[in-house]
Amino acid sequence: MRECLSIHIGQAGVQIGDACWELYCLEHGIQPDGIVLDSQQDQLENSKTKHMNASFDTFFHETRAGKHVPRTLFMDLEPTVIDGIRTGKFRSLFHPEQLVSGKEDAANNYARGHYSVGSEIISLVLERIRKLAEQCSGLQGFLIFRSLGGGTGSGFTSLLMEQLSVEYGRKTKLEFSVYPAPRISTAVVEPYNSILTTHSTMEHSDCTFMVDNEAIYDICHHKLGVERPSYASINRLISQVVSAITASLRFEGPLNIDLIEFQTNLVPYPRIHFPMTTFAPIISADKAYHEHPSVPDITAACFELSNQMVKCDPQLGKYMACCLLYRGDVVPRDVNAAIAAMKLRNSVQFVDWCPTGFKVGINHQPPAVMPGGDLARVQRAVCMLSNTTAIAEAWARLDYKFDLMYAKKAFLHWYITEGMEQGEFSEAREDLAALEKDYEEVGLNF
Amino acid sequence: MRGHWDALSGGLRRRGWAGLGHTCRISASSCGRRSISGAGLPVSPWHFRSRLEALLPSAVKGQPPRPPAAAGRSHILDSGCLNMSDTLTLDVIGQRVEVNGEYATVRFSGVVPPVAGLWLGVEWDNPERGKHDGSHEGIVYFKCRHPTGGSFIRPNKVNFGVDFLTAVKNRYALEDGSEDYGEEQIIIIGKKPVETIGFDSVIKQQSHLNNLQEISLRNCAVSCAGEKGGIARTCPNITRVDVSKNLLSSWDEVIRIADQLKNLVVLNLSENKLQFPSGSPVLTGTFSTLKVLVLNQTGITWAEVLQCALGWPVLEELYLDSNNIFISERPSNVLQMLKLLDLSSNPLIDENQLFLIAYLPRLEQLILSDTGISSIHFPDAGIGCKTSMFPSLQYLVVNDNRISQWSFINELNKLQSLRALSCLRNPLTEGSKEAQTTRQLIIAKIGQLKTLNKCEILPEERRGAELDYRKAFGNEWKKAGGHQDPEKNRPNEEFLAAHPRYQLLCHKYGAPEDGELKVQQPFMLKNQLLILPSFLKALKIKYPNQLEQKVLEKQLPGSMTIQKVKALLSRLLKVPVSELLLSYESPKMRNKLFKVWMDSANEEETAKVSM
Repeated sequence: MRECLSIHIGQAGVQIGDACWELYCLEHGIQPDGIVLDSQQDQLENSKTKHMNASFDTFFHETRAGKHVPRTLFMDLEPTVIDGIRTGKFRSLFHPEQLVSGKEDAANNYARGHYSVGSEIISLVLERIRKLAEQCSGLQGFLIFRSLGGGTGSGFTSLLMEQLSVEYGRKTKLEFSVYPAPRISTAVVEPYNSILTTHSTMEHSDCTFMVDNEAIYDICHHKLGVERPSYASINRLISQVVSAITASLRFEGPLNIDLIEFQTNLVPYPRIHFPMTTFAPIISADKAYHEHPSVPDITAACFELSNQMVKCDPQLGKYMACCLLYRGDVVPRDVNAAIAAMKLRNSVQFVDWCPTGFKVGINHQPPAVMPGGDLARVQRAVCMLSNTTAIAEAWARLDYKFDLMYAKKAFLHWYITEGMEQGEFSEAREDLAALEKDYEEVGLNF
Repeated sequence: MRGHWDALSGGLRRRGWAGLGHTCRISASSCGRRSISGAGLPVSPWHFRSRLEALLPSAVKGQPPRPPAAAGRSHILDSGCLNMSDTLTLDVIGQRVEVNGEYATVRFSGVVPPVAGLWLGVEWDNPERGKHDGSHEGIVYFKCRHPTGGSFIRPNKVNFGVDFLTAVKNRYALEDGSEDYGEEQIIIIGKKPVETIGFDSVIKQQSHLNNLQEISLRNCAVSCAGEKGGIARTCPNITRVDVSKNLLSSWDEVIRIADQLKNLVVLNLSENKLQFPSGSPVLTGTFSTLKVLVLNQTGITWAEVLQCALGWPVLEELYLDSNNIFISERPSNVLQMLKLLDLSSNPLIDENQLFLIAYLPRLEQLILSDTGISSIHFPDAGIGCKTSMFPSLQYLVVNDNRISQWSFINELNKLQSLRALSCLRNPLTEGSKEAQTTRQLIIAKIGQLKTLNKCEILPEERRGAELDYRKAFGNEWKKAGGHQDPEKNRPNEEFLAAHPRYQLLCHKYGAPEDGELKVQQPFMLKNQLLILPSFLKALKIKYPNQLEQKVLEKQLPGSMTIQKVKALLSRLLKVPVSELLLSYESPKMRNKLFKVWMDSANEEETAKVSM
């Protein structure tokens, strides 16, 4: 058994976690009380469920009472968001010990999340993770969900990642990070937090999938017709992406069966571990059956800027690796035809030194959508994970904003008063500059 | 190439299609050839060779001929094993065909003198593809709706499609050639090969046709059900079928397919020009489990919907986009389980037609996007009352219409179950007002609304919108006869019709106070400027000591001190401050001058030019 532990940190992490587990439960037929829905179905349905759930134990722990408990931990430094889950629809799905909340928030401050407030709760969180890990027969690693901009998401995550590295050695740690977007930002210090946390988790995280709030906001607004996308709509879309990525871990799928495979497929150098995600198709619920996304259509859509989860222009960079994860009613012949057609249309540039280009996998499980949600049910979907040098653009944007404030030492006192040193800022900034440089170098021709 | 044409003609001749006089020249393939249909497109030599290869082994082993393998080839080219003897000897008229990606309906078959040989007269879906209206040299062979919608075409250029099962096998089951599959298919992008992982197992899994639950045969040239019982034997567990954009020509053919699928839940028939039966062929049990039916762009009429609906006892979702539907009669005893009805892009729909479907008891979601609807009025309910129409309607979509009147929104308030509305890209919402204001008004006007344009309406937002609305129309309300005192509060009918919820809101939040209703000027410098006595508009500055006697008009802020006025005037008139003598003429007391004394510039002035 190869179990994965999901850890959701901070408001963003917890809310995304809520959306994700809701979707996982729907896909695996698990009711909000943890019981698998199969009793009244006929024989055919039964066999289907059994088949479907063949490997979903990686994400759910079955108790002796037949209840399925997600292998997950939600943590936040302040209680309101987690209280939402404690009282929400899925309150009986989780064990109370899986929901950890402190009493004092991190106030969008990395220093509070990492040092002053975070250090008080870290031992409790580690203890709870230990308990969850004990339920696993062969833990393969952690999936960590957080935002880069928030105080808990940035500060506490880096603290936890350090500790996890100490305690669990080289177990794989994958991250889903929300990249700060100026248009829906809650704090002006987001660039500080993002850069501090990227620096301190750089060597602990094995692969970080970034989602840009603004990109997703635009997708919700333009493609789904949501007038003013709320966090709920945004998180539902993120959960679709997460579900597509983890589908091969939860269902039988040939590609990326192990967490470590993500890393080996996508990360050529330890520091170059920020693949970009693209998801297609995104169809609004009241346009269901108006559009007929075929395999070539969704494949082509993967190379459109408007479907990217991070705003950057892949034409400006080179690809190092690319995984296309199809799911649903997809036949291999269509995939081959689609890729051949895509090859003619797009100028996808690969770096010279990389031995393989594309990896393509198909998962037979069709994507599920929340009933009453914004997304239409589709027969097939594809998620593209591509490690491209173009993502350096996103870092450059962030660095620029950091520099604007740091040049004037603006807002620094909030960090200094929590016990941080200014040296940490310049060190982090230098590290990010080196990262940009790294991206530049890997894209060079010999 | 030559050989293939011969094969085709041989196949055709066997079915009584004389006149394509070629003789067979390839003898090696004579066993296999029989199974090649006459309906192939012009194909490349390579294609033909591979067909022969696919066919020969089976012929040698003496097995019944099978359809050729599907690997790596377009399934449309592989029109494989349609049994032409059925279609051609019976009736090709009315068949749907495909020619090089264009779709058409056969209207005629026979000889067209003076050109020898057999021709099919087809009417194209895309009228620009054709050349004439069905007549040739003065003789009318068939009729087209469009003057250039018709063509004559040789039968061998036409793809009559394949049967359902062949299409399924073509798409999902890999019969031959799976060994060389891997080598053939490597695609190289930028010197890098595309690695496909585990496709073999996917193929293996999919080729167990009896496990398939969901199949999608969009654009696979399916034209008929094929052998009776074949589908039921091969893939009995199918629950969702997508056969959109195929060559199905009649509803009876659909029934023949669906008859064999006992678990069918979702059926998508979009973009097939279907012929619906004129009688009432009620086949009980065919669609007994069907919940979702998609008939977009099928050319179905409302009468045909109702007729066929007898066979859909549990149908919950019906999609009828782009069919030019005119709702002509009330559904009685049919569609009673319907929860969702999509009538988008049917430009003939108007409000009177909607009343005919107003009493579907379970209809929860109605999609009327892009229908051009502009007004609605529920005649059975007065102002502020709920209508008995659309009793369960929760979600209404009216995007891309021509709604320009607020009365439309007012009427929606009468729907008793309406919880969500989507109203985007209408003149009403695209007008000069900000989107936010329109949203607020819609929220205030529809009391029970919980979601607007897919955004949840939180209680605070509703409260804010309603309070603003109450305030914004307060003056109008007073003018129309409204009064804070409930005894005297008698707004006229006109006001109540335009603002049916206003009285209710007054009841909820209290009537607007006079103080609230004062029109407040936005805080801008322009409005802060001194508005001088009503007829003046600005400070008129006369200087009687100068010869021209001209009058200057200046707008001054109310808080401006005399000292500053003096400085201003000295700059304007180029007179030193010390020599200025100011006096003020009040509009209230004409002809009386007030001296404004300002001797010393150092003195702290208290006298302001404010009035």
